[in-house]
Amino acid sequence: MKKNLILLILLSQPIISELVLEITKGSDNPYTVALINFKGSKSATNEIKNIVKNDLDRTGEIKILENNKLLSIPTNEENINYSDFKILGIDYILMGSVVEEDRSNISATYKVFDVKKESQIRSSKVFGVPNKLRQLSHYISDGVYEEITGLKGIASTRLLYVKEESSKGSSLFKLIVADADGANEQILLKSTEPIISPSWSPDSKQVAYVSFETGMAKVFTQNIASGKREIVLENKYQISSPSWSPNGKFLSLTLYQDGNAEIYILNLKNKNLTRLTNHYSIDTESSWSPNGSKIMFTSGRSGSPQLYEINLRQSNAKPKRITFEGNYNAKGSYLPSGEGVIFVHRKNSNFQIALKYFNENFVRPLTNSQLDESPSISPNGNVIVYAISENGIGLLAGVTLSGARFRLPTKIGEVREPSWSGFLR
Amino acid sequence: MFNIQMTYNKNLFNLFVFIFIISSCSSMNVTEEVVYDGGISTVEASIQEDYPLEYETKAIFTNATVYFEFDKFNLNNKSLQTLKSAVAAMKNNPSIKITISGHADERGTREYNLALGQRRAEAVRDYFAVNGINSNRIIVKSFGEERPLSSGSDESSYAKNRRAEIN
Repeated sequence: MKKNLILLILLSQPIISELVLEITKGSDNPYTVALINFKGSKSATNEIKNIVKNDLDRTGEIKILENNKLLSIPTNEENINYSDFKILGIDYILMGSVVEEDRSNISATYKVFDVKKESQIRSSKVFGVPNKLRQLSHYISDGVYEEITGLKGIASTRLLYVKEESSKGSSLFKLIVADADGANEQILLKSTEPIISPSWSPDSKQVAYVSFETGMAKVFTQNIASGKREIVLENKYQISSPSWSPNGKFLSLTLYQDGNAEIYILNLKNKNLTRLTNHYSIDTESSWSPNGSKIMFTSGRSGSPQLYEINLRQSNAKPKRITFEGNYNAKGSYLPSGEGVIFVHRKNSNFQIALKYFNENFVRPLTNSQLDESPSISPNGNVIVYAISENGIGLLAGVTLSGARFRLPTKIGEVREPSWSGFLR
Repeated sequence: MFNIQMTYNKNLFNLFVFIFIISSCSSMNVTEEVVYDGGISTVEASIQEDYPLEYETKAIFTNATVYFEFDKFNLNNKSLQTLKSAVAAMKNNPSIKITISGHADERGTREYNLALGQRRAEAVRDYFAVNGINSNRIIVKSFGEERPLSSGSDESSYAKNRRAEIN
């Protein structure tokens, strides 16, 4: 069927119109960190400072103070005047230096000091390449975040999403991968037909998505680095809603071959299919629990879309309903801890992102606009990115579990269906 | 005791300070890492219809569209009227094949809407089937909310977008 699919592979096309991060609300009680200008070449240290500041500010849990807000600037770790920092309520000091080792190697050394203890608590070195200072900076941010909060950082992770650009009645759809702060956009796939439901493989080296390029929904996998792509199942029916198992060996899919949306598990190695649902109503939007023992999905079997889960370790397990509040609960995904789910929840006529812990019998709304959808949670379980619609234009927004909020507006086109990668660092 | 030792032996005091630094170092995190740098390749999809229809077979049913309520896929009276003439045309022209595409409005999730669009297209196919049209003359598919007729975010736009198109 797809024998004559011609792939035009171009090398890594960066886009100028990247998303621009806006922090709209911080959390209530952040740690304050003094970010002392790094030593080294001005252009490199400036870029690193700005990226690290943005990364850490965006977490909502850390507030950055720069040199111009400080009482004294230590020139090295021996001459820190801790009382100058205590007066300002500063919790930590971040200092560092950048060394261009040679033309193709650059390294950054950074140190974290605990003001209360008046002592150094971290000394780290990151090696990178000079024209990719963003990545290097994200590593610094994640190291600092980890040191302070005890939680793995996500500045060095990536977002996958769909962008639609329209002109003169025709649309161009792009599958894009960008840094977690929306910068450094790169195109994985361009198509004149819709692309939906992108998701990452557990090792974050491949993506799966639905493309309509053949005239109907089909699921593809694509290697990010090589661009090699594959249609996962060759048949004449629609296939949609891919989700990778945590061990990377299976894809759960929605197949339409039974004349109705049903969920199957595809063994990627031998292409064996195992049917998971069997009901005359819609069953779709499957996603795996973090340990791979359960699959959650959206089903219309109660008369409205609700979330259900199936225990894969039980034979002939019956789907168990998870959501009961409201008449639209869909596209669920598990928290990385497995302790709850995030999903799209309709309240009155508004669609919002909501969270439900399994040990609670109520829904916690996380957002409050009208058409919020496609929630995806960061691998550290702390931030949820989702799609919103503002004046009819789609863009991405985020909320942290500590209550901080941010937006990722785009200058061109509409952005939707974000999916957060795993840890890359 | 401690004081006595310190005054007694300055070297011992230095040893104490040294041990203190060592132990404070052991509570400090020391790391070294290299930035991961996986490249990215761009691919362009070549658009190709799997099941192209003969051009002349399409003309007869141009603009045959039926509409649905939110989150519903049952056919109303007006839809049945539209489909009645489509059935007649199918019977009079036994060689033609049709595609039924189901669509949804933008509210709700994309995958659920894809499934909903499919249900709408299947409802139309089922109507053809019970009226004696062989299902192998019909291709059913869904575009969910991806191909709206009207781009507005209001009920009149939504109503236009919740549809099944026959062509």
